[in-house]
Amino acid sequence: MGEYKAVRIEKGYGGWGGPLVVLPTDERPLIYCVTGGGIHPLAQHIADLTGGEVFDGFKSSAPFDKIAVAVIDCGGTARIGVYPMKKCLTVDIHATSPAGPLAMFITEELFVSGVKPANVIPID
Amino acid sequence: MAELLYRSEVTGIGELVPSFVAEGILVFFGESAPEELHEFCIMHKVEHQAGILDVGDVIQIDEHHLEVLAIGSVANENLMNLGHMNIKADGNLVADMPGDVCVAIGELPPVAVGSKIQIIRK
Repeated sequence: MGEYKAVRIEKGYGGWGGPLVVLPTDERPLIYCVTGGGIHPLAQHIADLTGGEVFDGFKSSAPFDKIAVAVIDCGGTARIGVYPMKKCLTVDIHATSPAGPLAMFITEELFVSGVKPANVIPID
Repeated sequence: MAELLYRSEVTGIGELVPSFVAEGILVFFGESAPEELHEFCIMHKVEHQAGILDVGDVIQIDEHHLEVLAIGSVANENLMNLGHMNIKADGNLVADMPGDVCVAIGELPPVAVGSKIQIIRK
């Protein structure tokens, strides 16, 4: 059994959406990182603060229902909508806004962008 | 002489690709992309990769040519690390989104399994 802590994730400069509250659980433990070049420091930071398990989506795949939050470095077209469409909380490192064919799935309740480590705030 | 910057071959077309094409967007991802992205994208296998994509370069999809008009700030990073490229036929001279690779407004060329993608600098 893991011990998990909640964080609030706010949009960064030029960003959109949120704030999101992320609290991993034993059923949904994964901080699911879908970024280029391995685990992104922001995903690691969220894992460190929440006790969640960081996971590299480009190395292997995990079911959506195991994901506490997806961390993406989407430039605004595809990944931005895929995880919200599956009702996964989604954090984009880049300051994007809803766009593309999946824009309808991207809501403030599910998505936040432009996020830097300072935008991840522990909740006591 | 023309310089070949990039060459790949299309290995799969996701079911939802037509809904992106309808909005003037082609989304490419390399074969390492997580499974949940496959239905949204054109999967391709990178065969050659050299240098950085720039405005004025030509993306060749089989016999069709698309001139690059603008490039978002993370488009090159996406292409190098993930084989990921969003081609948008929006005619923009400044990219709307950081991942965009903008080309002229118009019908995008058909893409099928086996299509050859090349990026060429003239």
